[in-house]
Amino acid sequence: MNKKKSGNTSRVINFKKLLREPVLLLSILIVFYLLTVFVIFPLFQVFKTSLTFEGKLGFGNYIEVMKKSYYIQPFINSMILGVLTATIGTFIGFIFSYAITRTPMKGKKIFRLIATFPIVSPPFVIALAAILLFGRSGVFGGMFGNIYGLKGLVLVEVIAYSPTAFLALVGVLRAIDPSLEEAAMDLGASRLRVFRKVIFPLATPGIVSAWLLVFIQSVADFGNPMIISGDFSVLSVQAYLQITGMYDLPRGATLAILLLIPTVAAFYLQKYFLSKKSYVTVTGKPTAATIKNLEWYIKLPVYSLCVFFAGVVLLFYGMVFYGSFQKLWGVDSTLTLDNYVQMWRVGKGYIFDSLIIASIVTPITGFFGMFIAYLITRKNFPGKNLMEFSSMLTFAVPGTVVGIGYVVAFNTTSAIMPFTLTGTGLIIIILLVFRNMPVGIRNGVAALQQIDPSIEEASIDLGADSGTTFRKITLPMITPAFFSGLVYSFVRSMTAISAIIFVVSGKWNLITVAILGFVDNSQYAQAAAMSLLLIVIVLIALGLIKLITDKLGQGMNSATVVE
Amino acid sequence: MRQDYLVLKDLTKKFGKGDAVVTAVDGINLTVKEGELITLLGPSGCGKTTTLRMIAGFHTPTSGDILIDGDSVNTLPPNKRPTAMVFQNYALFPHLTVRENISFGLKVRGDNKEEIIRKVDEIMNLIGLNGLADRQPRELSGGQQQRVSLARAMIMEPKVLLFDEPLSNLDAMLRVSTRLEIRKLQQRVGITSVYVTHDQEEAMTLSDQVIIMKDGLIQQIGAPVEIYSHPCNRFVAGFIGKANFLDATIKDINNEQLILDFMGKEIIAPHWNKSLKQGDSVVIVARPESVIIDEPSEDCIEGTVINSVYFGSQMLYEVKITDDLIFRIEVADPQQHIQYSAGIKVGLTFKDRSLHILSAKEGAL
Ligand SMILES: Nc1ncnc2c1ncn2[C@@H]1O[C@H](COP(=O)(O)OP(=O)(O)OP(=O)(O)O)[C@@H](O)[C@H]1O
Ligand SMILES: [Mg+2]
Repeated sequence: MNKKKSGNTSRVINFKKLLREPVLLLSILIVFYLLTVFVIFPLFQVFKTSLTFEGKLGFGNYIEVMKKSYYIQPFINSMILGVLTATIGTFIGFIFSYAITRTPMKGKKIFRLIATFPIVSPPFVIALAAILLFGRSGVFGGMFGNIYGLKGLVLVEVIAYSPTAFLALVGVLRAIDPSLEEAAMDLGASRLRVFRKVIFPLATPGIVSAWLLVFIQSVADFGNPMIISGDFSVLSVQAYLQITGMYDLPRGATLAILLLIPTVAAFYLQKYFLSKKSYVTVTGKPTAATIKNLEWYIKLPVYSLCVFFAGVVLLFYGMVFYGSFQKLWGVDSTLTLDNYVQMWRVGKGYIFDSLIIASIVTPITGFFGMFIAYLITRKNFPGKNLMEFSSMLTFAVPGTVVGIGYVVAFNTTSAIMPFTLTGTGLIIIILLVFRNMPVGIRNGVAALQQIDPSIEEASIDLGADSGTTFRKITLPMITPAFFSGLVYSFVRSMTAISAIIFVVSGKWNLITVAILGFVDNSQYAQAAAMSLLLIVIVLIALGLIKLITDKLGQGMNSATVVE
Repeated sequence: MRQDYLVLKDLTKKFGKGDAVVTAVDGINLTVKEGELITLLGPSGCGKTTTLRMIAGFHTPTSGDILIDGDSVNTLPPNKRPTAMVFQNYALFPHLTVRENISFGLKVRGDNKEEIIRKVDEIMNLIGLNGLADRQPRELSGGQQQRVSLARAMIMEPKVLLFDEPLSNLDAMLRVSTRLEIRKLQQRVGITSVYVTHDQEEAMTLSDQVIIMKDGLIQQIGAPVEIYSHPCNRFVAGFIGKANFLDATIKDINNEQLILDFMGKEIIAPHWNKSLKQGDSVVIVARPESVIIDEPSEDCIEGTVINSVYFGSQMLYEVKITDDLIFRIEVADPQQHIQYSAGIKVGLTFKDRSLHILSAKEGAL
């Protein structure tokens, strides 16, 4: 009772303090407005639309869910796909991270690079490669039967998303002090026993959280199933087809909600397991692996799997490269540049649109994200938790849901958004900004929390005002986080598809949409050429940013770039 | 030399509101002479840091006044105050070199370039940082970081230099040598300083005045010698150095001397506190080094050695007088004395002139 009272008074005081800083107050209000309009409102609209049944408000759509297979089948399929992909992907990710952190394997850097490659490349490139390899006219065509369907989808998504598990698990395993293993072995435990009784239990929360991350990505994936799911219908693709093919908004929205529920649930579960992980780091300084003499029966399977997986990744990307120079895929394998010429002729506009939009989105996302991170960590104001929650929300929500939300929210005007945004370039920019921002915010918050407040105080104590302190002390210290936020935003802007496909228009179109178009027309060689171009653009951007940050003297490893 | 260079008047700081209010500093008064180094000493949570941060301007006093060189600084923000602080964790700017760290304040002030270079070289020379100018803070040892942080504050030539436990992150050996250096430097430059610590040895060796605090209140202000030999109450006596406390009564007063009765034995002590009268109960403060240990005899207090520890330069005894009175005794230069081992019966007497007497009231605090 008393506690509550004092909480209220301090809130009042915070508010009074705010009134004395009008610029701050105004910017907080603007941030809240933007988050409401571009994060909350679209999601709310999806809910509302899903509750519209035959023109009236009601639970009709949800009642249908129980009865109609066009609802329930995609749901079941998505769950099966998610569980399979997450399980296999986490297994591979774990072995890979074990090899990197716990064995004296040679060429770790190269393995690492190969394993992280699928993260920075457009998500559906793997599916394209799978068709080039195992499709009807593929190199190994027919070897595994029909590649279109669950089998192919799992294969493709495992390659695309086990790197996510790998990155998460490297951190977890690195935090387990090798001296624990040594202690256990010293006490007479065999290597396998150490693994079962020490490493595995300590890593379990991390493993569960990695599993959930992969599950979310797999269920939310749009690009790969769009290309390769065949008759195996999944939620994201079905929702898209309902809306763009059948113009059935309520049904699309209902499918989107069915997609939203498991992913958001998994997201919060994942956060929960991540927070449980902390006892792993109790032993302090992370130490490099010291195990030099591993038994062969551990080395052999671990190393073989790593080599095999790396080989598969290389094969897939190599196939895209090779395919892009073939005269006619599966018929005439003469090497030619024709595909590039044709790709350029048809796709030039898409490429420029993509570059223009990404270069507008990137700095806006960077500054806006950093500003919100600054507000969250350094300022006190009512509604701070709400701001943090809503700004991170788009991270948990599948792109398909966001895309549908933008369609229903912005194709007409409303009280809080007096302009129709549909069909403009602006809606693409806004969608990408709010979709890419959470990672920038997370990086920014982490960086700001690492800066001891006494460093800022020292600057003020030496005579600098708070503006100078922010410019000369705080800003330079968060620069690496800022740049890695920029990289992330640029890469995602160039490679996004699931949400963006709902808001592109004749006037403004994107490179990823163009690639999907080529695939749709079975122009696989042109699709490969354009994918390759996209990969090159992304790599150049990564290299440039790395150059800049190295110059700034603050090393930044690739993991923080892509995470 | 100004006598009232830094003045704290009824300075109070409360944190929180309503039921949860914490009075961190409770109306303290303090005057510091120009060029003096004073230490705020006290147990954890007594309000030392809070006081220091009010002087620096990071906390606004709930009430009271702070005057520096005659001017009230209450309304000045920290960046406008003539103070500079050496932080406990050094708070060096990690992205700037040593030279850039040290020159930060001068640059902000807009000093001229050559002047800055000259001053930085001068102070790096003075503080012993030669050759480190272009290093990053993370490439320095703890002791070097500490010195950079000191140089960064001193170069501002502040009117008051503030230290918040600046040595607590150094190892024991380095702590001793660094505090000597700080003292020498401070005296050479003649800079008025306020130094926060909870290490009593540090306070004793560094300061012109020691301020003992407890629960937001000042217990005693005085030179180290005074505080050690004439603590104002039991808390101060126990906090500065070690002390044995004996409950006694005054049998007689003559010739500037107190004749005391302790468990039927007579003890003589100097008569400082003139308000004491015959018949009063008092508490005798006997420092471990003012107790003499010898063979048992008629006039001595008798006891049994229960523990003896050899330190090289010292011998430390614990002697049991009664079940709830155990004496702690230090004998300097133990080779020159007989050594007693546990179980032996001994007789204790006192170096009369070193005893300090507290009234019953002071002895209870
Ligand atoms: N910002 C704050 N908000 C609320 N209470 C505070 C705050 N800062 C200090 N206090 C309280 O004020 C009291 C004095 O704290 P202070 O930091 O001044 O102690 P200290 O003497 O420096 O102790 P230490 O030796 O542990 O550093 C403590 O009870 C502390 O909990
Ligand atoms: Mg303190």
